[in-house]
Amino acid sequence: MTHIIKRGTREYENYSRDKLHKSIVAVCLSVRASEGSAATAANATCDAVDVWLKTRPEVTSDDIRRIAGKALESHNPDAAYYYLAHKHIV
Amino acid sequence: MAKKHTFDYDLIVIGSGAGGSAAATIAARSGKRVAIIEEDTFGGDSPNYSDIPTKALLHAAQLYDEAKHGARFGLRSSTLGYNFPSLRTWKELAVKRTGAGGNKRFYETNGVTPIHGRAHFLSPHEITVNRRHLSAAKFLVATGSTWVRPAIQGLDKIPYLTPRTILEVMRPPKSLFIIGGGQTGVELAQLMAIFGTKVYIGEIASRLLPQFDQEVGELLERTLHEQKGVTTLTQSRVVAVQKDGLGRRVIYSRGGVEKHVRVDEVLVATGRTPAVDLGLENATVKFSKKGIAVNEFLQTSAKHIYAAGDVLGHDSTTHTALLESRTAEHNLSAKTPIAPDYRATPRVVFTHPGVAHVGLTEDDCTRRDLHVSVASAPLTIIARSNTSDFRDGFVKLIADKKGTLLGATVVAPHAAEIIHELALAIRHNMTAAQVAETPHAFLSWSEAVRVAAAKLS
Repeated sequence: MTHIIKRGTREYENYSRDKLHKSIVAVCLSVRASEGSAATAANATCDAVDVWLKTRPEVTSDDIRRIAGKALESHNPDAAYYYLAHKHIV
Repeated sequence: MAKKHTFDYDLIVIGSGAGGSAAATIAARSGKRVAIIEEDTFGGDSPNYSDIPTKALLHAAQLYDEAKHGARFGLRSSTLGYNFPSLRTWKELAVKRTGAGGNKRFYETNGVTPIHGRAHFLSPHEITVNRRHLSAAKFLVATGSTWVRPAIQGLDKIPYLTPRTILEVMRPPKSLFIIGGGQTGVELAQLMAIFGTKVYIGEIASRLLPQFDQEVGELLERTLHEQKGVTTLTQSRVVAVQKDGLGRRVIYSRGGVEKHVRVDEVLVATGRTPAVDLGLENATVKFSKKGIAVNEFLQTSAKHIYAAGDVLGHDSTTHTALLESRTAEHNLSAKTPIAPDYRATPRVVFTHPGVAHVGLTEDDCTRRDLHVSVASAPLTIIARSNTSDFRDGFVKLIADKKGTLLGATVVAPHAAEIIHELALAIRHNMTAAQVAETPHAFLSWSEAVRVAAAKLS
């Protein structure tokens, strides 16, 4: 199981596909994607992240955000933009 | 008094190939605490999977080929043969004897801590390797490059060979399609053709070895076709690869017409891409798919992180990576940085005849709008071509209006040895007249250098 180093606290937690899936679905729904397409995009994104994590025992939460955002871009560019930039949007 | 930050190491080198090894050992010898991280085999690609094994096999192949064609000198060679598993054993012995391949102990004896695993940046001064956190004051990224899988339809569905895996085959395939006619593609084409494989080379450019002068590619294409039966498909783009029985069907487009050829194996040698997926974003290092961006002193956008070798994305060779590694190590510790001097870095193709180039090509001069003089001496002009019964090749020199040498290309047996005289001349701004005045031994291939230089002086 890959460890995810959290930003700020520098503590780690185990990678959770469900947690990532939920966050991708949430961001897709926030740009008014249908529930079906949100779930499809989330599945594809989680698959891409799973493949990327296969050879990496430890990464940062920022890495997950970046890789997931990149994978999401081809499925829903608007959601990907929000996913990558929501912390900077006031 | 402000607290001084401490790190686990003074320098962490990521990658133990030519770009990393030299810097790590030099830094350790000067008393620094150094660690070197390697994900694959220690020593990197060159001694383990590319330069050393390929050249060991090419040496054996060229020996076999010369002996096979020895009848014209009065040699009997009708019973000559080869045993491919024994050739592989020879290749493995050559790798082992080189000492750099897979040699973890080498680093330990030099005071470097070798760590096996994949490095990933967590922050600018911290990496993780197998969940072990390591910090260092400075870093050198020398992760090298990997072979590219081109976007060709069907390539993901069939097993194909790479320049690394072809060296492990149990016997040469009956027929082979090489996608990519660069240095590696041409060397492997000659190697496999000598052992009886029917070779096709698909190259998107208008000639083989497009990074060299035009006449080099044309000569290589002709000699490979006439002497080894290699079919070169220039200006051809492979559009699809399919499984066809036990073999593969390669569909390529040439002049707007789609054609196909059936072969036993496909070898992909379309170039390499820098290995930059190591969390460089977490270290604030600027990079792209084409490589890590560095200044002239090999420093990245993060001032304490340097990069060397193939990861920089330019057309790199082992000796260039070594030069960069030594330069980066100097810049990591010295107050006055230096820039690597690429002017006299030779590029060599170990075929027969060999190809070697240093400095500017004629195309480079045209692009820069330089007014230059060009002189070429065919090998037939020197006595050695008569005593060796070998005539395919030339020496070509490029000089500016004052006669200062700017570039040189040698296509001849032992071209890799001949080129260094010209590299020295170019590095020290010598003129063609000075090279021509230097006595060159009678019956050496280097006589062609003197003849070409004399034409320019």
